[in-house]
Order: sequence, then C-alpha cells, then structure tokens
Amino acid sequence: MSREIPAEDSQLIERLRDPRQCRAAFGEVIRAYSEPLYWQIRRMVENHDDANDLLQNTFMKAWQSLENFRGDAKLTTWLYKIAINESVTFLSRERRRQNVSLDDEESGLLKGIEADGYVDGDKLAGQLREAVASLPEKQRLVFNMKYYDEMKYEQMSEILGTSVGALKASYHLAVKKIGQYIEDHN
Amino acid sequence: MKSKKSDILDEVGRRDGMTVPEGYFADFNSRMERMLPPTDFERSEPGPVVLESPGRWQRIRPYVYMAAMFAGAWCMLKMFSLMSPSADGKMSFREDPIVAEAVSNDAFIDAYYIDDYNQYDMYEDIVGDSLDMAYMPENIEDIMDN
Repeated sequence: MSREIPAEDSQLIERLRDPRQCRAAFGEVIRAYSEPLYWQIRRMVENHDDANDLLQNTFMKAWQSLENFRGDAKLTTWLYKIAINESVTFLSRERRRQNVSLDDEESGLLKGIEADGYVDGDKLAGQLREAVASLPEKQRLVFNMKYYDEMKYEQMSEILGTSVGALKASYHLAVKKIGQYIEDHN
Repeated sequence: MKSKKSDILDEVGRRDGMTVPEGYFADFNSRMERMLPPTDFERSEPGPVVLESPGRWQRIRPYVYMAAMFAGAWCMLKMFSLMSPSADGKMSFREDPIVAEAVSNDAFIDAYYIDDYNQYDMYEDIVGDSLDMAYMPENIEDIMDN
C-alpha cells in the first residue's frame, strides 16, 4: 500500500462493470485507493476519526453508484470527486453546526489539529499544517493535491472542474499565503 | 536569497506529520469489504455485447485507401518517367515542345542563356559568319561598349 495514486487499470475497470466480478474488483479498488484517498480527506478535515468516517462514506457511495460509473472517466478522478465532495460537505455541515463563518473555519481546523492525537510531533510539519489550515477551503484543496499528492494540474482540473490556469494561480497564491503565515508566526 | 516559505517547504518535504493507528489501512480494507451491501447491479445479468454496425465511412474506407494508394503509385511512376533518360540518352524533358522551342530560339538563348556575350564573342561570330569588317560601321566598338 502506498500514499501514491495508483495507475489506471483498464482490466480492473472492465471487471467493475461486470456484475459477476464487481465485488471482487471493488475489493481491489479499496485496497489500492484507501490510503491515497484517506490522506486527501485527512488533510482537509485534519482529524483521524472524521477522515475514517468520510473514507468509509466515500467507498460506500462509490459502491452504490457503481452502476453509473461508465468507465469513460478515470477511476481515480471518479473516486477523488466523491471523496472531495464528502469532505467539503462535512466541513460545511460542521461550520453550520458550530455556527462559524467560512472565514472562521481556520480556528476550527486548528483546534482539530491540536485535539487529534495522531501526529508524529514533527514541529516543522505541524507549522506547515497550521499554515495550510489557514488557507481558504479551495486553496487548501489545491495545495494539498499539488504539494502532497503531486497531482498534475490536468488531473486536478478534471476532479475539481476548474481550469488549469485558475488552479496554477490558486496554488501560487496558496504558497505565498503559507510563506506569509510562517513569517507572521515566527 | 531563499524565502522563508521555500525554506520550510524544502525542509518539510512531503511530510505532513500525520499518523494513523497501527495496522489501520489493513483493518479498514477488510472491514470495508465486509460492509459492502448487496446491490441491484450485482444481481443483474451482464448486458449483451452490442457490436456497432459499421457506418458508411467504415464500409468504404478500405476502397478509399486502396484508390489513394493506386493514385499515389501512378503519380510516382509518372514522375519517374519524366525524369528518366530517353533511349538516345537525353533527359526526356528536353523533348517537351515548350523547352524544344525555347532552345531553338537564338534570341532567347542570347538574351537569357548567353549572358556574357561581349565584343570578343561578336568579332568571332562575325568572322565565323564570313562577314567583311569593312562593312561594319566605324563606331561599332562604341556602340558595343554602350
């Protein structure tokens, strides 16, 4: 298992579309994608327990809508779309529940970082996580996909439905804001 | 000078400092597979394989390709025959009526081909044609120089 996004497998997609083989094929999908999807979700919501629930929901939704997966979109794109949609919905639900605005989301995420026990104590990495948590939701998403997942802009564009140019600008702005945050907090 | 932002990104690399409980992914994968409920799709029969009937272009494509191939071969043969020497060893393009007419026209040759026709050549032509210099105008040299 690896954090890296697996390569597309056309045979696996064929088996997913075959009712007799789809369960076994979906088991392979879970094994191949659970880790990269988990980290994508975890970096958005910061907390392990929340990430675990959202990952479970992601696979459940993918399984239940397998019939609609026609195979013309990439498997990775399809799964990431579901995972990101789950994360964004969760965050907006949390905002509503805690009655905080989009701008105040940072404080909630920072609390999540502090409360989450599953961190390795790396001070620099922690500082970077705080800086990333200070970004607006879309920029955080773009930064995580580009920086941590090393995803290509073209693939990000397919998943997020945003132009490559806008994604590049968003990533550039995110890196700039992170630098500013670190300077301000040192 | 390196900025602080690139310093921290360089130093941290792709580490995010996040961890998961021991054996989390293995546990998750087996738990998730067991949790998958039966679906209608799973119970459905695989659909018949539908072979698309070939369209008009699909049907005529081999013939179009073949015609294009023959046309190409004909053009190549035509070009080779134009460029290859004829039986008497001359290039066949010399047999072209337009080229033949141009070559047989002295004025054309003098004007466009023999571009270094000078006074010496003229004297030689005169002598060659057995003309008497006495009949030439006295200022023939001046006329030629101008």
